[in-house]
Amino acid sequence: MRGFFATFRMGFKYLWRSPVSAAILIGFPIVMILILGTALSSYISGETDLEPAKVAVAADPQGELAAFLRSGEIARFFTYTFTDINEARRLVEAGEVTAAVIEDASGTEVFCEAGEGFDASLALAVVDSYQEIGSAAAAAAAQGRDVYGILGQEIAVRDVPLGMRVPSATDYYAVTMLVMILMMCGTNGIEMFGKGLLSDTGSRSLLTPVSKAAHVGGLLAASTVTSFLQGMVTFVFTAAVYGVYWGQRVPLVLLALFAVVLLSQSICIMLVLLFKRPDAASGLAQGLFYVLTLVSKGYSKINFGAADAVFQYAPNAMAHTVIFGAIYGGNEAKMALYLGLLFAASAVFFAIAFILGRRRLA
Amino acid sequence: MIVSMTGIVKRYARHTALDHLTMEVRKGEVLGLLGPNGAGKTTAIRVLTGLTAADAGKTALFGQEMRARAAEIKRRIGVVPQDLALYETLPARENLWYFGKLYGMGGAQLKSRTDEVLEVLGLTEVAKKPPKKFSGGMKRRLNIGCAVMHRPELLILDEPTVGIDPQSRSHILDFVTEMNAQGTTVLYTSHYMEEVERICSRVLIVDAGRVIADGSVAELTRTVLFEETVVIEVKNPAPSLPDSIKNIQGVLRCDTDGHILTVTSTAGSANLARMLECAAPFVILGVTGKRPTLEDAFLALTGKKLRDGGEGE
Repeated sequence: MRGFFATFRMGFKYLWRSPVSAAILIGFPIVMILILGTALSSYISGETDLEPAKVAVAADPQGELAAFLRSGEIARFFTYTFTDINEARRLVEAGEVTAAVIEDASGTEVFCEAGEGFDASLALAVVDSYQEIGSAAAAAAAQGRDVYGILGQEIAVRDVPLGMRVPSATDYYAVTMLVMILMMCGTNGIEMFGKGLLSDTGSRSLLTPVSKAAHVGGLLAASTVTSFLQGMVTFVFTAAVYGVYWGQRVPLVLLALFAVVLLSQSICIMLVLLFKRPDAASGLAQGLFYVLTLVSKGYSKINFGAADAVFQYAPNAMAHTVIFGAIYGGNEAKMALYLGLLFAASAVFFAIAFILGRRRLA
Repeated sequence: MIVSMTGIVKRYARHTALDHLTMEVRKGEVLGLLGPNGAGKTTAIRVLTGLTAADAGKTALFGQEMRARAAEIKRRIGVVPQDLALYETLPARENLWYFGKLYGMGGAQLKSRTDEVLEVLGLTEVAKKPPKKFSGGMKRRLNIGCAVMHRPELLILDEPTVGIDPQSRSHILDFVTEMNAQGTTVLYTSHYMEEVERICSRVLIVDAGRVIADGSVAELTRTVLFEETVVIEVKNPAPSLPDSIKNIQGVLRCDTDGHILTVTSTAGSANLARMLECAAPFVILGVTGKRPTLEDAFLALTGKKLRDGGEGE
């Protein structure tokens, strides 16, 4: 274990001093400032290019629900039509509104047409309004559109808690950005394994009595912990500076972020062992992570059509789903499945890396 | 016997790097492994240390096979690789600490040994600086320091002085000599003849993956004693003088360079008087006898100059 801890300590210090780490630590928060700053300024000035969602409201225009719907940031993204219950249903069925909010003696419900996944609830309508900015698909999935009863061609119903917090543009940016940063932190693994295993310095370490397993374990632990902590810098930064809401289930959010770290490490380590050239592996990995961010609807305005059904399983998208689910309340089964898939994918890539590493060191 | 390599064969595709190489390193000696670029020196060290598997042959360190007792054997050897193998952004002290730790050191022992190595290698004042800010010589010294933290019984140095200034080179050679005086056995590869002549008690000349000569510097130079060379400096020699000298019995060749005639004869020809007789009509400015060097021995044995083709293998 002494070799493991010595390698871990060395790797940890090495990575924090490396230019790549500096770029991640300093560069990404600057990007965050620029992008979040832009998001915030457009939010404050009201110059968003979002299309307001049309919602029918069957409730007392002077009542508590109406006041809630007209309040704060929610009202900014909706066009309300106050009417009665039957007319509200008709408007939904005719496709003239995307959803109907209905308040009666039994409580508050949201109606929408089957297949209108994003609009299955008032929260999902908010999510849909943000689609042009953030990762709406992931958030929608996290809200559990499949669970809340899109029943064939029937109109679906969902209870809406009046006090529910809805995500702001900043929250979307923060989640999308943090997941992307953690994916990019996989290059720490490339840096660590390139230097600590594939270079002359790595060969020298293998000439010591420390076992290969302890050495490789130390390198992996160093790059993983460093990456996670680098992500935490952004996590704390967004919460402290921009007031990003990370929800009440922070441990679950952190678990999802850790899954992203492990996955990016496994992909990057596999790539560097495959190509044996850290610069090539790093370039490929960064390109891959940008593409994954893009298809996961991070900042993207591109509609990929049928491919979106596949892209919801992109690592970033699955991570978004779990995180938004943890923050705003989502489908627990789906969150567990996606978390499991992220860890399983990491295991597969680590296994491939292990085989490549054995061949490389043979 | 510290090291025993017998019949080692190592092939890379169609190239045979080691061709039944057999060598031994005896306890307490400084063995020089001398050879031109591509001779197989570095490959031999990689096979010896277990970094590269041989296709055939047997290797034993301290009487044991590396594969059987790897951790135990590795604890007793220190390797200075040909290329710098350091963490360039970590301070020099941190590099030494790390490799000391990998060799099982810790606590006060590790700290005092780190200070000692820094002191001996003249790096104390830059201990907190990263090697990326060092000169080439300082990097080389730190590269060696990392290999001797644990006081190895066998120190293997693969071209440890490539590309550094004479002062650092001298420092390193003194350090190696001192390590040997303290009981460390040394295997030293180089293509710098003067280094080998200075520190090695025995020399192996390697070419094309095989050991072609084995002995002390004196023994090896004796192998080229079948020739003698005399350098005669003559003022305004006649063009016919070289031909006259070539006709003397025992003279193999006579090369001219302006006023200087370099005459090579069969050993024991005793023909100096006759050469001087031929040159007598002219003003003889000087006569010098030239002893064979390790370089001559190397040239005679391999047909190559040692530094042909640049540095490293």
